[in-house]
Amino acid sequence: MRHYEIVFLVHPDQSSQVPAMIDRYRATIEGASGAIHRLEDWGRRHLAYPIKKLQKAHYVLMNIECDQATLAELESSFRFNDAVLRSMTLVRKTAMTEASVIATETAEQSTYAEKPAAATEEASAKETAKETAKEEVVSDAKSDSE
Amino acid sequence: MARQMRRKKQFAFGAPGEANAIDYKNIEMLSEFVTETGKIVPSRITGTSAKHQRQLTNAIKRARYIALVPFCDAHE
Repeated sequence: MRHYEIVFLVHPDQSSQVPAMIDRYRATIEGASGAIHRLEDWGRRHLAYPIKKLQKAHYVLMNIECDQATLAELESSFRFNDAVLRSMTLVRKTAMTEASVIATETAEQSTYAEKPAAATEEASAKETAKETAKEEVVSDAKSDSE
Repeated sequence: MARQMRRKKQFAFGAPGEANAIDYKNIEMLSEFVTETGKIVPSRITGTSAKHQRQLTNAIKRARYIALVPFCDAHE
């Protein structure tokens, strides 16, 4: 049993399949009494250069402990899966469990992305409140004229 | 003299797992050792030790392969 670090790039149109793929890989690894120490989904990232004329890809990082037969099975599944654009396997000395730099970055970005969305929602709620207030005023004026 | 003037202050590399560790995932740190055109800067310019320069080149090449860092500036 050795420690491996795997990064693979999934076609952005097949992004929705990623959880199912991870489940399948988890089943093969844990079925062979291996373990997943770290699993990170970096989401869709911009590529530094186009691969197969694609500008974006869905990145997944896995730190696993398994035997060589299981690793060969995983790598062949990457090779024969058209959704996987590219994969890289590294041998590591220890199990890595801490969140990587990119994972923390993407987590921060997603929180930033949520905040402005909430702010705009609040703003729109205020606007609608104003509009209703105006309408009330108008209706009051109408009732006065009558 | 000119060579001495070009030398930068040594970068403090962290242990594995730390923020400044040499790792292919640490794009921000790697970008310090790459020119605008994407070439790896020689250690005689950056003042990096031979051991760290070897680790850096490996990390940069890994980052290039999985498209975290460009090979050059002439990509589409």
